[in-house]
Amino acid sequence: MKHPKSNPMSLWSRVRCRNRWLVSGAMLLSAFWVAPTGVSAQSLPSDAAPASQQVLRVPCDNTRNEVTFDFAVSVYQRYECVPDLFQDTLVDLDKDFNVIPASAESWSVDASGKVWTFKLRPGLKWSDGSALTAYDYEATFRYSASPSSAWDFTWFYSFIGAGGIKNWSKVIAGDMPPSALGIRAVDDRTLEVETEGVFPPLPGVMKFAFLLSKKALEEHGPYYNNDPDTSVSAGPYVLKEFDPGNRIVVEANPNYTGYRPARLKRIEGIYMSPATFFTAFQQGEVDTVPYERLTPADFKVIQSDPVLKDNYLRHFGDFRTDYLLFDTYTAPFNDVKVRKAFAYALDRESIVKNVYGEIKAMPAHSMLMPGYPASDTKGALKQYQTYDCNKAKQYLADAGFPNGKGFPAQEMWLRGEGPAMSAVYQASAASIAQCLNIKIEVSNKDGKVYMDALNAKPTQLTLGAVSYGMDFLDPSNLLGIWVSSGRHSWKNDEFDSLVAKASNLVGDDRKREQMFRDAQKILVDEVGGVFIAHRWQGDLFKPYVQGDSFRTPDSNGISGKHWGNDWYWSNVYISNKK
Amino acid sequence: MLSYLLGRIFSLAMILLAVSVIVFALMHSVPGGPFDERKGRLPPAAKANILKKYGLDQPVWKQYVNYMSHALRFDFGIPFQRPHTTVAKLIGKSWAVTVQVGLCTIALAFTLGILLGIYAAYHQNSWVDTVVTFISSLGVTVPNFVVAMWLILIFSVSLGLLPMGGWGSSGQCLVDRYFCTDWILPVVAYAIAPMSVVARYTRASIVEVMGEDFVRTARAKGLSEVKVMRKHVLRNAQIPMVTALGTEIPNLITGSIFIESTFRINGLGKYFVTSTLNRDYPMIMATFLLVAFLWGVLYLLTDIAYTLIDPRVRLGAKSLS
Repeated sequence: MKHPKSNPMSLWSRVRCRNRWLVSGAMLLSAFWVAPTGVSAQSLPSDAAPASQQVLRVPCDNTRNEVTFDFAVSVYQRYECVPDLFQDTLVDLDKDFNVIPASAESWSVDASGKVWTFKLRPGLKWSDGSALTAYDYEATFRYSASPSSAWDFTWFYSFIGAGGIKNWSKVIAGDMPPSALGIRAVDDRTLEVETEGVFPPLPGVMKFAFLLSKKALEEHGPYYNNDPDTSVSAGPYVLKEFDPGNRIVVEANPNYTGYRPARLKRIEGIYMSPATFFTAFQQGEVDTVPYERLTPADFKVIQSDPVLKDNYLRHFGDFRTDYLLFDTYTAPFNDVKVRKAFAYALDRESIVKNVYGEIKAMPAHSMLMPGYPASDTKGALKQYQTYDCNKAKQYLADAGFPNGKGFPAQEMWLRGEGPAMSAVYQASAASIAQCLNIKIEVSNKDGKVYMDALNAKPTQLTLGAVSYGMDFLDPSNLLGIWVSSGRHSWKNDEFDSLVAKASNLVGDDRKREQMFRDAQKILVDEVGGVFIAHRWQGDLFKPYVQGDSFRTPDSNGISGKHWGNDWYWSNVYISNKK
Repeated sequence: MLSYLLGRIFSLAMILLAVSVIVFALMHSVPGGPFDERKGRLPPAAKANILKKYGLDQPVWKQYVNYMSHALRFDFGIPFQRPHTTVAKLIGKSWAVTVQVGLCTIALAFTLGILLGIYAAYHQNSWVDTVVTFISSLGVTVPNFVVAMWLILIFSVSLGLLPMGGWGSSGQCLVDRYFCTDWILPVVAYAIAPMSVVARYTRASIVEVMGEDFVRTARAKGLSEVKVMRKHVLRNAQIPMVTALGTEIPNLITGSIFIESTFRINGLGKYFVTSTLNRDYPMIMATFLLVAFLWGVLYLLTDIAYTLIDPRVRLGAKSLS
């Protein structure tokens, strides 16, 4: 495996190349794609253990509030340890985050740029043998958009503006019936998606086009997949056993005809406390542990053990950034000099080195993590948000608070963070407070209380810390949350205009990317937020857990289970080293 | 006695009513609702729909009346955390496991605690007494999740002797899925604190009784030490012990989130915390009422136990003064 830190120039030059390709991929390649036809069952590689031993055991968090297996029923309360195995989305992503065919074998857009036609693969079936058709997708979208479903992801198709499905906002508001939605099954294999405006990354957004069985939905309601007797799957696995909070067992779907046939015979989800994930891994009770469940002490053990170290595979994850946010509409943060003082008072390098650990994060000087399209791979934005305590003090003095005198004591809210991230934000507050000689008290709030305050208009959150990861791989996503109609109380007309125009721009990918870069420069320079760190994510695997999807590096030299790569679940297998 | 019991049952009903009012008012006054999201807000129409579905669009007093009228018929609603089941079914299933854990813990903690307490009392101020006192102090002060992690690290990870949890899933059981090797660590971890409490109370009660005149008289009469112990010391030491022990039982049979989550036990304990974090109103109400009910019943049983232990205690008798 190539280590990303071993040759940064080489990495970033490759990243730059990839970014151009990604954007053009989203805009041009995704506009008309035809997949290779024919799907054959996946055979086991030569180093695989016998088929009877193809069992992967994964830990499930028994403290999470989960209610469904289906994305279309709830996104934030679905069983996350065995995610989305009972259906395929219209498209998937490859290791370089390029859009690739999944249930849809091809797609195209009409001359208006607003009507997309997705052609489903022939012969798709549900596990009960019935045909999977475009009408299932249509019924799923209608179900999710219906106000009676109260789907927790409705915000997304409103949030993406021009990319929103036509009439989405009116349907979810109850002003139009779900049948008025811009999603139409033309025939069994043809699905039309009409958007509100021109939106080039639309095929990538269809990564979220999960589906429910129309028939099962009508017969058993939205939770039909919670019971093995009523569960029906169009994905590579079927539900075999389910005891919520105790155990989930899925087995390879014998009737599967989709793009990702399973190599594993079975996946067992074993519920346990996140505190015991690593212990269970050491005990050999589970085969993998995600990074967010590894404590600093666990990382020390991993880094000191060559086998564990080689099998901890680090990757971009969802390009998550941790940052501080302000209410810039009221004093003292309505003064950009105060915000700049905060940006220069934060010692990111030290926090990454001493609190996160370098295996888990890199210092952030902007919103977009290097590697994400339109990100600052040259470090050009570092000058706007970097640690320079003298400069920070000067800005605060210029704002009328020499040596912090007269600056009101601040309370910095956290969103129900665990010990590791609380320590990061505590250290961030301490760094700023110490440099500027001001008082910042950190208050870790209940998640719901925090979000209520953040979403309130006007906001009730003066100073807060939070993280955000991508929903889809386009700068319009991660920069879109900073537009003035978004979640943050910061407004810059030029930024709003650049993001809006770039989001809808077709045909000039370089210009589009540059517009996003310009927008990000404004965000950083005007200090919409203070960026702390980009998180490296990763997973720890047993050495016998194999598969190209996470063992082979991507074009940036990064291995690991990449975000949105649903084909991982069919590619993974158990080798004969077990 | 009967009128006393009826009075106590009426009093318990009033306590449950008061608890229900207080809990209902408190949970509705906490900021953040059950259907607030981490990312975006629900559209108003969807929010209105879901609030209507669960009756949350009504004034709070009306919601309370609705809830209680259903609760009196043992219909505690649908948990927001598990919308495909009912609160009664969820509690029924998870509490059964918690009660298993609790009963095993009670058996272990009380047996060991009483034996250690008696032994320490009989060897008062000896090194045995010092060791028992030290261990029982440690047991009370060290949180059970710390004990749990140490037990796992020693007996599962280092020595590989015992499974680290699963409650009946190890396959190494005495009867079907009962009395399995994966019961040992959670029960021991859970039992250490109550065992320490029991040992301390037992020791203190026995030491006090052993200093009484009637014990000295019994010995002077030439009774064997076993008889003195059984007929005079233990019998008279029981009342303070029962008082202390009675309060441990409701705690143990309603579960611990730390023990259950650490040892992969799918019990009721976690719902006390997750219900509050998720603003799962039906589950919050049901779990609080259950706990209040158990405490009320256990106190009543403790009082009844007094009359069996000590004939001088007469429930409901008028005071002579």
